Amino acid sequence: MGKLPFEGIRVLDFTWYAVGPVTTKYLADYGADVVRIESAARLDGLRLAPPWKDARPGVDRSQFFASFNTSKRGITLDMSKPAAREIFLRMLPWADLVTESFTPKTLRNWGLDYELLRAIKPDLIMLSTCMQGQTGPHRDYPGFGNLMAALSGFYHISGYSKDEPCPPYGAFTDFIAPRFSACALIAALDYRRHTGKGQYIDMSQYEAALHNLAPMLVDYFATGRVLGPEGNKSQRYAPHGTYRCADEDGHERWISIAAGADSEWSALTKILRIDDSAGRFATMRARMGARDALDETIGAAVRGRSAEELTETLQKAGVAAYPVQNCMDLHRDENLEAFGFWRWLDHKEMGPSPYEGLEHRMSRTPGDLRRPAPALGQHNDEVFREILGMKDDEIERLRRDKVIY
Amino acid sequence: MRSELLKGLRMLDLSDEKGALCGKIFADMGADVIKVEPPSGCSSRNIPPFLEDRPGLDRGLGFLAWNAGKKSITLNLACEDGRQLLRMLAEQADFLVDSFPPDYLQSLGIGYETLAALNPGLIHATVTAFGDRGPGKNYKAADINGWASGGAMFLMGEEGKPPIQMSVPQGWLHAAAEAAVAAMIAYYARAADGLGQHIVVDMQACVAWTLMNEQAMPLLHGDYLRRSGVFSGAVGGRRKTVYRCADGFISFIIAGGPYLGSTNAVIAWMKEEGAAPDWLTREGGLKSLTPTSFMAATAADLAELERTEEAVQKFFLGKTKKELWANILKRRLFGAPVADAADIAEDPQLKARGYFVTVEHRGLDRTLTLPGAFAKLSETPVGPQGPAPGLGEHNDEIYGALLGLSAREIVELRAVGAI
Repeated sequence: MGKLPFEGIRVLDFTWYAVGPVTTKYLADYGADVVRIESAARLDGLRLAPPWKDARPGVDRSQFFASFNTSKRGITLDMSKPAAREIFLRMLPWADLVTESFTPKTLRNWGLDYELLRAIKPDLIMLSTCMQGQTGPHRDYPGFGNLMAALSGFYHISGYSKDEPCPPYGAFTDFIAPRFSACALIAALDYRRHTGKGQYIDMSQYEAALHNLAPMLVDYFATGRVLGPEGNKSQRYAPHGTYRCADEDGHERWISIAAGADSEWSALTKILRIDDSAGRFATMRARMGARDALDETIGAAVRGRSAEELTETLQKAGVAAYPVQNCMDLHRDENLEAFGFWRWLDHKEMGPSPYEGLEHRMSRTPGDLRRPAPALGQHNDEVFREILGMKDDEIERLRRDKVIY
Repeated sequence: MRSELLKGLRMLDLSDEKGALCGKIFADMGADVIKVEPPSGCSSRNIPPFLEDRPGLDRGLGFLAWNAGKKSITLNLACEDGRQLLRMLAEQADFLVDSFPPDYLQSLGIGYETLAALNPGLIHATVTAFGDRGPGKNYKAADINGWASGGAMFLMGEEGKPPIQMSVPQGWLHAAAEAAVAAMIAYYARAADGLGQHIVVDMQACVAWTLMNEQAMPLLHGDYLRRSGVFSGAVGGRRKTVYRCADGFISFIIAGGPYLGSTNAVIAWMKEEGAAPDWLTREGGLKSLTPTSFMAATAADLAELERTEEAVQKFFLGKTKKELWANILKRRLFGAPVADAADIAEDPQLKARGYFVTVEHRGLDRTLTLPGAFAKLSETPVGPQGPAPGLGEHNDEIYGALLGLSAREIVELRAVGAI
């Protein structure tokens, strides 16, 4: 096995919460030395977010934080103190990348911006990611990805009808933006390799997320039509929905089914023993025209069946189906298991803990969760000695002055 | 103008809608992305909704959006002449992305091993629904099945009613974008020794990754989350996240912790307008809103938050989305309008940043407006490089100029159905 792709790449990482840390996790899991710069004076909110080890909160007990920060080292600097700024600037020449995800004014308030950093490190690549970008009237809008999912249109297309909205779970856009920013960062690293030039990347979570709703926007600009929520109705498949199966140990189980071609429908009727001899649903056009009745018919036919067994049977007959998995089910899902999705790592404070693995697998230079997330300030001594050659007494003094904090 | 970022790199895009966003991201970064389609056209051309609801190979809204800036050639993988053309193309490509069942290309004699023997530097990404090793590796999957498999769907909808998906399905998009990141990582790795590799992307894992670590909750806290309509179980107990307003909906959260400042600010606004109920304005009336209540709210805290939610809901009913948004910005509240396409198209922030990009689509004889740069790069701007291609629009360019086939050879390949 060769060395990891980003071995030798060094990142000073100011990002917090989700988008930034998930972006730099791609680099860290593939070998980059990513040093998270945190502070107890301005704690990354994810450190306090559940789930917690033994369901007990604490800054080093959040699996939420841990999952997003694998393979990184962690130091603490209270950047509101001038001495911390000086230390950061002394570390800067060591770094290839600087990343941050505050509202735009934060770095300015610290007296740091790309121009200044570039004067010290001319080929620096810097990523700033925030809700709405570094320019424009709304640039200082603070918020989380759940609000961004509302602002960027995802809430509006989510629900049983226009009057019954049901948003997607959580901070949905937090899981769109990192893939775009990771692509931009890696491409910028490659560009620097060819040209010697660094650059500044201004990432708006909003603008990245809208790519996932592009057809809706193309449509509006072309025709003025405003797409709304339609439950599980599809213009491509009928049936297309989720149907309640037999409960298991008191837990509700549902199956998702999508059928397009008439042959799929005909296979479905046989398996579900649906009598359509009258041909009410025989053609796609007929099924599209009677989707509610169709859903009712299927709902009645699957109610006593096992979601897993029915999935297997339908798939064997070439019909797309899968159980609607809850978070418990994900831990006994045979396909996730075979992909090796769940990983256990031994965290400094939390002990052996469940981490999500990578969502892809590479044949020759596979990335990995190389180590669990850092406890707050876990690598202070190591990093300050190694990068700045600090002596123990200096580190101790900075700790006492709450610069390293 | 082509972005300089990945200029000179070439990707063969054999995927349908499952992988389309991967090639789109590469095209936006300046790579030459060639969509390789069967002679009848990629099936993704036939996915509704269509422009003006009129079906047509160039009218699928998703197709137009996620294939913008790519080239198109036709190539029939079902015949040996077609497969030979693919091998020739693969020799000249840096990337290949497909979304066939995991063993499909191998069974045709054009799997990764074969192509890598011809071009060791090739990076090949396969977008799958459920991976390439489990019992479901050959399962069929529409987007809804992937959404269901990864746990996101169970959490979306009303309790007791069917779990739902978004009306622009999202599962495959996550997998396709993941393929783009992985392909970029593999490309960065290639510089060391010139060798490419094969990547398998798992949609189910991508969907599971969107759950904010709720997926670890059963192991650490012993239970799993249920869906609860517009209420979120994740923010300080059962908090309402969507409020009705005069002309639509607004996303807002009343809570302590990180939401405390915002909650107090909206109460102050209600006071200003004489719209805060007595109990809310009495001294110490809102006991629950301590910074720690986000973490450990008591039953009394939660009851109080609920009453506050009711008062705020009443207040919002008298406000339009626009008024609320203006005040959210002015008063630095944690909220956002439930924006629709029209709101987004008119958003002054996106306008100020020059976000949307209009391209000329010659086949449709009209312009189309697309989401623009996914990020602003100071040295190498990225963004849509052109419209989605017509079927086989670039056959002559690719087969002629790139592969060096003569006009006569192209005619012959067309005659035998390879092109």
